[in-house]
Formats: sequence, C-alpha cells, structure tokens
Amino acid sequence: MTENPSNFELPSNLSAKKFISKLTKEVDLQIVTQQYTIKTFYDTFDWRLYNANMICEFNHSQIISRLALNDNKKGHSIASLDIENVPSFSQEFPDGVFKQQITPPLEMRALLPLCHLPYETYLINILNKDQKIVLRLQIDDYEFLKNRIQLHPLKGYDKALQKFTSLLQDKFELTPSTYSTVLEEALKQQGRKPKDYSSKLAIKLKPDMRADQASNLIYKHLLQAIHTNESGTIADTDSEFLHDFRVAVRRTRSGLSQIKNTLPAEIVAKHASFFAWLGQITGPTRDLDVYLLSYPQYKDVLPLTLQDNIAPLHDFLIQKQKQAQKELAEKLKSPEYNKQLLAWEEYLNEPLPKKSAASQADQTIFELANQRIWKVYQRVLKEGEAITDSSPAEALHDLRKTCKKLRYLMEFFQSLYPETNIKLAIKSLKGFQSVLGDFQDYEVQELSIKDFSDEMMREQVPANTLLAMGVLVQYLDTKKCEARNHFSQQFSLFIEAKNKTMFKQLFTQKA
Amino acid sequence: MTIIATYNIKGGVGKTSTAVNLAFLAARNNYKTLVWDLDPQGASSYYFRVKPKVKGGSKELIAGDRELDGLIKATDFENLDLLPADFSFRNLDLVLDERKKPTQRLKKLLAPLAKEYDFIFLDCPPNISLLSEAIFEASDLLLSPIIPTTLSLRTLEQLKKYIKDNNLKNIQLLPFFSMADRRKKMHREIIETLAQQHPDILQSIIPYASDIERMGWERMPLGGYTKRSRSVEAYQSLWEELLASIK
Ligand SMILES: Nc1ncnc2c1ncn2[C@@H]1O[C@H](COP(=O)(O)OP(=O)(O)O)[C@@H](O)[C@H]1O
Ligand SMILES: [Mg+2]
Repeated sequence: MTENPSNFELPSNLSAKKFISKLTKEVDLQIVTQQYTIKTFYDTFDWRLYNANMICEFNHSQIISRLALNDNKKGHSIASLDIENVPSFSQEFPDGVFKQQITPPLEMRALLPLCHLPYETYLINILNKDQKIVLRLQIDDYEFLKNRIQLHPLKGYDKALQKFTSLLQDKFELTPSTYSTVLEEALKQQGRKPKDYSSKLAIKLKPDMRADQASNLIYKHLLQAIHTNESGTIADTDSEFLHDFRVAVRRTRSGLSQIKNTLPAEIVAKHASFFAWLGQITGPTRDLDVYLLSYPQYKDVLPLTLQDNIAPLHDFLIQKQKQAQKELAEKLKSPEYNKQLLAWEEYLNEPLPKKSAASQADQTIFELANQRIWKVYQRVLKEGEAITDSSPAEALHDLRKTCKKLRYLMEFFQSLYPETNIKLAIKSLKGFQSVLGDFQDYEVQELSIKDFSDEMMREQVPANTLLAMGVLVQYLDTKKCEARNHFSQQFSLFIEAKNKTMFKQLFTQKA
Repeated sequence: MTIIATYNIKGGVGKTSTAVNLAFLAARNNYKTLVWDLDPQGASSYYFRVKPKVKGGSKELIAGDRELDGLIKATDFENLDLLPADFSFRNLDLVLDERKKPTQRLKKLLAPLAKEYDFIFLDCPPNISLLSEAIFEASDLLLSPIIPTTLSLRTLEQLKKYIKDNNLKNIQLLPFFSMADRRKKMHREIIETLAQQHPDILQSIIPYASDIERMGWERMPLGGYTKRSRSVEAYQSLWEELLASIK
C-alpha cells in the first residue's frame, strides 16, 4: 500500500481563509480553534537533532506553548512537552520521553533558536453524516511562506482520509509536500540551509594544485571556523564553541609548522606566535570546561557516602570557570586580537605570487602531502617503538603530539586520497591516539584536583570534601595507569602488517 | 493493561453509561483506552457516533481471521478508541460454542492489544451465557451496576454464587449503586441495608440524573457536554475508587 501524503502546500496566492471557505462547499467541517502562533525551530549549532533525523519546534500562542520533537521526514511526533520557556541543555529538561530522546544526540551542546515564523493556525475537524470526526486538519497561514495543510488521520477512518486526499490533489490541485520544507524554506530566507556547519574538516583539494595555493585554502577554511565559533565562545553559549575554536587554532598552528616551506618564513614566524598566544589564552577555560563536563562522572565514582560531600568542588569549578571565561572574553574582544586576526586574513586574501619565496611552494600539493605524511608517520613509528613499559611519561606525551600532527595532516589532505582507505588510516590512528589522550587527560586532571584541594583548603571547605577529592584523585590515577597499560597493545594494533601496508600504499604512491 | 467488564444479568441498569463515561475519564487522564461494544444493540457505538458494523461479523471475529486492531475506530476524544458492535453479535454464543475452548476465546483475542492500551472496557450485553463466561475469563475487574431495588439484592447474590461455583479466582467483583434516586425513600433504605450486608459495594453512587439520560441525545460521553455537575462528580469519584482498587 502506498502511503498517503500528509502534508500539502497551498498555492502562494491562496490564503487559509479563502481555502477553508472553498472547502466548506465540499465537506462538512468544523473549525475548532484559530490562533496566532509563533513557531521557532531549535537545534544545536552543529545540527545534532537534524543529523539524528529530528526537528524540534516550539509553538507559542495565547493558548498553547508546546515544544515538539518531530520526525524530520514524515513530521510525526516523537515527543512533546508543554512548557513556557525552552531550556538550553538536555539536563535542564524534565524527566520523560522528550529528555530521553534529545540527551544522546545533544550531549553538551545548547539548543539554539534557528528562526521565528509567525503564522495563523486553524485546527479543523472533518465530519461525516453522523457528525462524527473522521479526519483532523491543521492549516497554517504563514506570513512569509506558502501556506500549508497537515492531515492528522484517525484510526479506522482510512477511507475518509483517502477521499479527502484525492479531493486536495484532484479538485484543488495541491502538491504534496514534506514536513521539513517549512524549516528549509525559512532558513533559505536567511540565506542558510540545514547542516551548514560541522566541526569536521571537509576541504576539497586537487592533487595538482600548487602547494601554496592548497595550503592557503586550508588556512582559509580554518580561519572560517575560528570566525564562526568566535561569538559563541565569547558568550559561552556552550562549551563546544570554545572547543571547536581551539581545534581550528591548533590545526592552523600544526599547518604552519607541518605544511613546510609553502609560506615565506617571515610570514610563518609572524603569525605562528599569534596562534600560539591564542592557544595559550584559551587553555584555562577549556580545562575548566572539561572538569565541569566530567563532574557527573567524578561524583559517580565516589562511594555513596561521599557523593554529597563533593558538591563544593562543583561550586569552586563554576566560580573558576566564570573568572577564566571572563578573562578570555575580554581578550577575544580586544583590538589586539582583532588586529592580528585581520592581518592573517588579509595575508590569505592576497593574490599568490607567480614564483613564491618559499622553497616548496611550487610543488604540487599531492607530492608535498605524501612527503609530509610519510615523514611524520615514520616518526610516530620510531617514537612508538622506542617506548617500553618503563619509559617516562614525557615519551608518551611527545608521541601524542606527533600523532596529532599526523592526524591533522591526514585530515587536511583527505580529499587527495581514495575515501575508504584514508578513512581507515585515520581510524587506525584514532584508536591508538585515544589511549595517549586518556593518559594525558587523567594525569592533568589528577594534578589539577590536587592543586584545587590546596586552594579550597584555604577557603576552609569541610574536611569530607577534601576526603572525597582524595578518593577522586585515586580514581583518576587508576584510570591513568589503565591507559598506560593499554598503550603497548594499542600500539601493536596500529603497527600491524596490514596497517603498515595500507600507509605505504597510500602515501608513497605516485600521482 | 487492565480489562474491565461492565456487567449485570439485567438490562437497563447503566452498564453502557458506566463503560462510556469511565472510559472517557481514563482517556482524559492520559491512559490509552479502548471500549469494546459487545452488545448487538450497539449502544456505546451509538454514543460515539460510530457505525455498528464489523467487517466479517461475529464469525470472522471469533475465528481470529481479522486482527482486532484493524477493526478499531478512533473516537472524537484523544486516547479513546472504540471497537464497534455488529448486529451479528446476537449469535456470539453460537459462534463461540463451535470453538474448542470457547471461554478462553476473548482473552486470547485481546492479548495482542496489551501493548496498545492501558484500559479496555468491555460493554457487555445482559444475561448469563457462554459469552459472559468468556468475558469473566478475560476480565480483571467486573464492574456491576446495581439499581437499589429489592430485586437487585438477589441478582448480586446470584452473581457472587456464580463466581464462586465456577471458581473464578482471578476476577475482582466491584458492585456499585447506579441510577439511585435520592427522592425515593425505598432507594435510600435499600442502599443502607445492602451496604451493610455487602461491604464490598463501592462507596461511589451514580445518581439518577437527567444530564446522564441526555447522553442519548447528545451522542457523546457526559464529560463531552457537561463540565461540572453532581453526575460528573459521581463518575469521577467512581473512577478514582476503581483506580484505587486495581491491584
Ligand atoms: N444514572 C442515570 N440516570 C438517568 N438515566 C440513566 C442513568 N444511567 C443510565 N440511564 C439511562 O438508562 C438507559 C439504560 O442505560 P444503559 O447505560 O444503556 O444501561 P444498560 O447498558 O445496562 O442496558 C439509557 O437510556 C440511559 O440513558
Ligand atoms: Mg448496554
């Protein structure tokens, strides 16, 4: 059985009122309500609900104020909630289906309004001879979009539905539409479209591009990410803005040092120090964000008898994060920051010289990519193989940094390689990078908690709070050792023969 | 899922009014609710303005040839559905009699609906028959309206004896007074004596009231056209007592 379309568009010159009066001649109908409503679509900055095939809309009028989570194709309701204001974070929602549905995709990201649409909505019942309702309709008369009809069929009244659908299609010649077009068209008016931001790198390069031209493209792309995340970082809308901002900064720095000899040395020197400074000033806030995000986990690992005692740590972290955030925001609003970022942008927008001063600028990007990735890959192997169970922590930290360089290079140059293979290569590195990352993170957290306990002691927190923090330090230390112990196993997976062959095939081939 | 049968050997005692009005309240309290109109006269179908017609009639229904789900109609009220009656239900007894385990039949037919509904109300025809046996097997609660007359005492005792004789341990009998007229001295007296002799009779009393009688004119549950009245309160109180007695 083919499914009946449940959404229709009215022609642009047909108002809901006019349509209803025409409809009255064809069927027995009853207008239940007519309300001026404002619809606001919500999603995270990086479209997490949309990516999970959901659309979140808030409809507010004098009689209803409802947040709905709908399937983005068919428009059917997944969950809804009658609330006056839309919370920003999943943990602020009341327990229930709505919260259950949004928590996994949202994670730490805030729900943000995408666009507002004023409209007049009519709820209409279609009746049969017995004055029994056989179909419900919603007709939305938008101020700036084509008007729409949505059918809400009733169980056991398929014939009525089919009859009415034919009436709309044959007599009124309406075109079926999909639910998501409302959002798409509203965004279009703002010059936007769904999924127009993702933190993933997607830079299209051609193998025979000049190296300096290609690296320029990469830097422009990263600069765009810095710009895009800047205001959310300053406003601290959610912690991911700063995170993505920092990733773009780190990638830029990595590019400047790893895509060697494509920019003149004095240019690199001039801008590298600015990005190093950016990395540095954003660090403290990010660290505190991480502790706050881990806080529920910190609490969970404590024995039940100590779980309430850790609360002062939360207050302490909040205070510290606020302070760090304030300082960061000031720096990102400073003339100095804007001047330096503008200088970098202007440099990137200059036309490329016919013959660059940099020694490898005239190479093709494919040659350079192969050469750099292969070299850094060799370094990873060398550093990794030198690590034994008794090697100092520094050796692992150095390797972690080298791995990151390799990862960024592979991501910059992804589009130059066959998609499945480069993805596999990145994936093999990812698994092994994550133990190194854990090792570092747990160590930093362990040391920070220790430092905090000193500071908090001076603020005279209760003894049991410090006790709980002691237990936490123990836990972090155990996790750190676990990560250390997993290293050799993960590394041996990474250097398996099939991976080695894959890297060799990918990065030593000729164009 | 809780299955509630409104049952009495006699007709015209308020079985249908009770099933329809309590189902309305259940649905309004966000319980997914179904009314199954088992009476060939189709009174509850009429109240919901649904045609008393079932494709394939009682034969195919009892045979299990059609899934009940496909025969269900949405009512005009949210969360409230109806499985309509059909004229052929007058021979339900005969059709049941042709099956191997006739008394287990309804229970089996209803089982797949467990995930769809929180409450199912079976609006039963009067009399004791094979169908009522099947209803007793399928139900968790037997809600029995009693009009306060001298005869009703005997009817209640008959029903209790029947439940005992047939060893129906899983069913909970909940008798309550229906169509009680406060102006009639006899009604007041009988309510008093019966309540003493049978402490299991529910506290809530549905009064004899013109707004309940009007349901047939309005063709919808009482709550659909009356927001507040003594009758509305009486059904509300009966609903709460019923909810509280569900184990
Ligand atoms: N509490 C009441 N007060 C007044 N009339 C009632 C009351 N309950 C039912 N009636 C009317 O009495 C008649 C029989 O009621 P009904 O619920 O159909 O009984 P049953 O299903 O037991 O045959 C109907 O016309 C109904 O409108
Ligand atoms: Mg009846």
